Amino acid sequence: MHFKFVHAADLHLDTPFRGVAAQGPLLGRFQESTFRALSRIVDLCLRERVAFLLLAGDLFEVKDRSVRARLVLRRELGRLHDAGIEAFIVHGNHDPLSGDTGTLGLPSSVKVFGPDWEEAEVRREGRRLCRVQGISYPDVEVRDDLSARFRRTGDGFSVGLLHANLGGAEGHANYAPCTPAGLGARGLDYWALGHVHTRAELMLPGGGIAVYPGNPQGRHALETGERGCVLVEVEDGGMRRRFVPVDTVRWHRLEVPLTGVATLDALLGTVGEVVEAECARELDGHAVRLVLTGRGPLHRELARPGALAQLEADLRARLAQGHPPVLLESLRDGSRPELDWEALQAEGGFARTLLEEARSLEENPAALARLWEQEALGSLGQRLKRLGVDVLEAPRMEWVSRASLLGVEALHEEEEGA
Amino acid sequence: MKPGLRIDTLRVRRFGHFSDLTLELGPGLHLLYGPNEAGKSTLLAFLRAVLFGFEKRGSPERYAPAEDDAPFGGDLRLSTGMGPLLVRRMAAPRGRKSETLTVLGPDGEPVSEERLKEARGHVTRELFFDVFAFRLEELAGFEQLTEERGASEALVAASMRGARRLPEAMTLLRKNAEQLYKPNGSNPELNVKLRELEEVQEQLREVGNRPALYFSKRERLESLGVELGGLDSRVREDGRELERLARLELALGDVSSLATTRAELESLPSLETFPEGGEARLEDALQRSGSYRAEVARLAERLVSTEAELKRLSAPSPVRGREDALRAAVAAYSERSELVRALPARRAALGMKRRQVESALEELGLGVDGPGLVALDLSAGARAGLEALSSRLDVEETGRREVGGALARARSERERLEGVLTRTESELAALPDVRPAQVRQQQAGLARMRVARADLERLGEQKMEARRRIEGLRGPVTELPSSSSPVIPVWLVPVAAAVAVTLAVAAWLLGGTGVGVLGLVGGLVLTGLLEFARRKVESARDAEREGREAQQHSRKQEEERLRVELAGYVAREELARRELLASATDAGLSPAATSSDMTARESALEETLEQAGRRESLSRERDTLRATHDLALRDERQADELLRGHEARHASLSAELTACLSARRFPAGLPAQAALALWRDASALRQRWQDLVADEAALSADEAACADVVSRLRALAAEGILPEAEAPVSQSSGSMDLVVMRVNAALEAARAQETERRAAEERRRELREEKARLDELCRTEEAALAALLAEGGGGDEETFRRRAVQAHRYAELTHRARELAHRIEARTGLSDTEAREALRALGGEEGLRTVLSQVRARHAEAQEKSKEVLTEQGATQNQLEQWENDDLLARLRIQEETLRAKVAELATRYAEDKLALALLGRARRRFEEEQQPRVVQLASEHFALLTEGRYRRVFIPAGDERELRVSDGARDWSAAQLSRGTREQLYLAFRLAVVRDFGETRSALPLIVDDVLVNFDPGRARSAIQLLAQLAEHQQVIAFTCHPWLRELFEAEGAQTQTLESRDSAATLRAV
Repeated sequence: MHFKFVHAADLHLDTPFRGVAAQGPLLGRFQESTFRALSRIVDLCLRERVAFLLLAGDLFEVKDRSVRARLVLRRELGRLHDAGIEAFIVHGNHDPLSGDTGTLGLPSSVKVFGPDWEEAEVRREGRRLCRVQGISYPDVEVRDDLSARFRRTGDGFSVGLLHANLGGAEGHANYAPCTPAGLGARGLDYWALGHVHTRAELMLPGGGIAVYPGNPQGRHALETGERGCVLVEVEDGGMRRRFVPVDTVRWHRLEVPLTGVATLDALLGTVGEVVEAECARELDGHAVRLVLTGRGPLHRELARPGALAQLEADLRARLAQGHPPVLLESLRDGSRPELDWEALQAEGGFARTLLEEARSLEENPAALARLWEQEALGSLGQRLKRLGVDVLEAPRMEWVSRASLLGVEALHEEEEGA
Repeated sequence: MKPGLRIDTLRVRRFGHFSDLTLELGPGLHLLYGPNEAGKSTLLAFLRAVLFGFEKRGSPERYAPAEDDAPFGGDLRLSTGMGPLLVRRMAAPRGRKSETLTVLGPDGEPVSEERLKEARGHVTRELFFDVFAFRLEELAGFEQLTEERGASEALVAASMRGARRLPEAMTLLRKNAEQLYKPNGSNPELNVKLRELEEVQEQLREVGNRPALYFSKRERLESLGVELGGLDSRVREDGRELERLARLELALGDVSSLATTRAELESLPSLETFPEGGEARLEDALQRSGSYRAEVARLAERLVSTEAELKRLSAPSPVRGREDALRAAVAAYSERSELVRALPARRAALGMKRRQVESALEELGLGVDGPGLVALDLSAGARAGLEALSSRLDVEETGRREVGGALARARSERERLEGVLTRTESELAALPDVRPAQVRQQQAGLARMRVARADLERLGEQKMEARRRIEGLRGPVTELPSSSSPVIPVWLVPVAAAVAVTLAVAAWLLGGTGVGVLGLVGGLVLTGLLEFARRKVESARDAEREGREAQQHSRKQEEERLRVELAGYVAREELARRELLASATDAGLSPAATSSDMTARESALEETLEQAGRRESLSRERDTLRATHDLALRDERQADELLRGHEARHASLSAELTACLSARRFPAGLPAQAALALWRDASALRQRWQDLVADEAALSADEAACADVVSRLRALAAEGILPEAEAPVSQSSGSMDLVVMRVNAALEAARAQETERRAAEERRRELREEKARLDELCRTEEAALAALLAEGGGGDEETFRRRAVQAHRYAELTHRARELAHRIEARTGLSDTEAREALRALGGEEGLRTVLSQVRARHAEAQEKSKEVLTEQGATQNQLEQWENDDLLARLRIQEETLRAKVAELATRYAEDKLALALLGRARRRFEEEQQPRVVQLASEHFALLTEGRYRRVFIPAGDERELRVSDGARDWSAAQLSRGTREQLYLAFRLAVVRDFGETRSALPLIVDDVLVNFDPGRARSAIQLLAQLAEHQQVIAFTCHPWLRELFEAEGAQTQTLESRDSAATLRAV
């Protein structure tokens, strides 16, 4: 028994890109990229003559309200249907069943799992190839461990399709939380997971494997590098997995060393080289975040007010002319002087008092909360939350240390300037 | 107390108005005393500048000397915790890098600037200027500092280690935070972004749930499609019915007319076999046979006339049979007719010419007739001989004429010369025969005579003059006066002397001694005078007498000389007289001749001289003329001889010519030229004669030929052509032309008649043939007419015509019926029977119209509905397409996400800034709590001391409004509530506290104060100075003042005073 399938997740069709200007020539390429990624996944399915396609949630975002996203999904799944390839879909927190799922009018070969556990079989020439189980999110907020409802029902290759946060991954909302042990206990051969955008594989106790293919198209500066889907080949109980990149624009975080760079022109040259080296030509475009590192002769010149912004504007214009065009997301100065914390502590004086004060604040959340309200940051946080920005929702401890660092640096500049 | 900084020596190279000023300072309290403008503030600025750098260009505190571009600045020798340092700071007034700093170590080696910074205790420029080296105004500056930022920050800034820039840092953070966000602001970045985000979200809300709308619209589109399909089929059906009915309606009229036509057809007999177009054909046939008959009759007439004409033309003619002979004769005559016509004129012209030649011959005068002339030898050889002779004769004649002219000229010349010679001789004979030399001799004598006479007269006068002078000399001789009768006698002198003595004595007697002496002296003096005068007169008389004697003597000598002269004159007179005589003889005059005689003689002599000259020239001329006359005579003779030679040759040639002429029967006396002309005339005339004879021969030949031709023609013409009466008598060309014309006319008439006859014959033949053809046609036509009538069935013409009318109607009706049936079929698609049936089914015309209007209304309604549905479908489709391709939502979402990211970033930064600020505030308070009491305590002590215990304490109350307050133990005041002097004392106390604290914790820096005590009362001033003196035990204190009372107070506290001279005197210092 030999078959192949493709596992993809978090298509986020037609979602906006952060850091891409709403105007400008690059916007089109970026905005098309999620669609093209889906097209390339379908192309892969057709090329590899796979048996079925798994889509593990977050096909699009309900809040984007994109008509195109729904139409393209239909069109691409229609292509699979025409080729006799089945598709299995679960919904995630961004496209829960409670909202408009966009699955209206999908081809008959597409199986969309409901809010309760279901199992479907994939058959070829009268023989069962595989069992596929799945649960969709009924609502955005799913805090239960949905994986607990999965179970092996018989022989043969079994796949669990779920949108879930395995092991409480950082940076992602903790929906449908589950653990490797919990997954392993379900006895399935392959957990086709979605939700975490970074590609990952985890061998489960009991022989199964849990796979995050990552999202097929990076959408902001933190989703760097190749993005794609996983092609799985099953043969006689064995399994081969291959990651296939399908992204058409790619994000990078590139460090540009200032050491030994004497002039702005030289810096531009260095940036050009770094970008050239990292940005593959065959893609439609790239987006980079540049971080200046190290200290060099240019440091002082760049420290002038407005200098960095000017350089950023220059570079943005210059990189956008390239082939393929490169979007400069931002230029950041990572070349701040390192402060000698030990020395500061030992030296005493005001800096030590400052650090001590910060530490005592970190140890006392109530005092921090008071300070938070005292500085009217709480009300600002509320206002932001109403606008969908939850960054100031609650005081965070790391900000205290960052603030103390800021204070020390501000005082420290005296030494620089004197 | 930490080791710090002390200024040992100050050396101003150039600064302000100072140059080369050296000031020794050292530990302890120093007072620099000087009046206003001595340069105290300048020195303060100098100390600040060397320690911390010059002020910016343009600042009055820079103290750059204005005069030139030389560098300015100076040195400070410092004692520091790490040994002595020499700090030199110089600046150029211009140039980019104008400031140079040199720091030298103990051994004069350059060391890093860091050493200076360290020695300064890392104090900032601002702090040093505010706290360590300040003026009275800057005391108030400190006041501002505390007012603006709160005393605690100033304190922290002034004294805290590691927080020197705390106020700046806090300001910066505060500014950053405010730029990022203000809770009620609108311009900060975060406020702006939040507003934009809200706007975008509002727009998104407005757009609504696009997919839901999209899919509902899509469903609506599908239902519309179905509805449209139903409507379409209904419309189509109705349309078909409508069309069918409409066609029927159109065919209504046709159907009824078809019925009428059919009924009429039924009423007519069967006429299908009636010949088509029978009546027309009958008419044609009748007309054709009529026309044939008329044509036959016309042809017969024309045949009769043609035959009559033929008969006329066949009559006989005289010319016939002789045409050729006549034509030949006429042609021969025509050839010569011109010649014949010219003959009489030619004959007359020849006669005339002959007469002319004959008369010319007679005029020639040779005495020969024409044949004689021809016989003469007028050959070219003879003519050449004559011409040679003639030319030789011409040559001779010319020579003879020339010689004759020369002879005549020579003869006239000779005669003219003879005349002139005769005139000359006669004139010569008239002139006297005197030679000019003689006359000139007489003239010279006359001139001499005049001279001699003039001499005589002059000598006479001179002689008279000499006599007169002698007489003159004799006359006036006077006697010399007799000598020696003196003018004054000698004796008078002694007399006078005596008289004087006497008188003197008398006076002595009378008058006394005095008078007597006086009289004596006077008398003696007078006597002396008298004697002197007498001697003078004597000498003058002697001199006069001597002069007279000399005069007498010279006169005698003069008289003697005149006499001798007179004798000379007489002798010369004699000589002149002799000369006069001789010259009179020469001149031919008597010596006694008067001057008028002499003048007459002179003019006569002149005339004579002229005549003598003339005569001489005439005689020379005569000689010349005679020679010329001889030459002329010789010429004349030669010319005469030549003339004779020429005449002899001429005579011989004339004889030769005469012989020649007579040989040719020319008149003998004819000159050569005339003979030649006669010759040319004769030969020309001979030529003409010969031409004339030839012409006459040609004329007679032509005449003979013409006569022959004319006679032949005439003979022919006489036979039948010319009437007997007109038989030609003469052979004149005019009559002959008439004959020829007649002959030609007869010939022409015969030819025309023949031609006409032939044409008439041809015509007759043609007419006969035509007649036969027409007869045949008439027969055929009649047969055809009979056949046609038989075919029409009537047998006769009348019946035939009636039936033809009926047949026409029949055909018409049949055609109409067929046409109508076709139209009905074309309109309805049904045969006429079917259409009739359908109409009957619909209830006739009325029924049809009712049904039709119903169907029409139904159809229009369906169409309208369909259109509406179609419009809605299009709109829906458009809307759907727009939504499919619309990127508005995508753009808004991008904006939203971008703004969210930006807002998050800004908010984070803002929160960090705010937290950092809060942390700094908390840290500051905590630091103050731990660190502040020392400074405040010191300040309290100082202030209590300064105010002599009036105020006990300086403090900073707890709480956020942290200001400096003072207390006397019972109540407290803020700085602003204090009097000016007290406030200054407070600030001074504070500064001194900071200075001391700084000295204890970090570095003992010198304190430099410029007249800050002026607002203090003497007591408090003393206290302040005591405080300064206390401070000076640990660190250097330098004070400036211009007030003597302060100086005294300082000196009382042991200050080392140095006096600064005012600017006018040299800036020197005097140690006290």
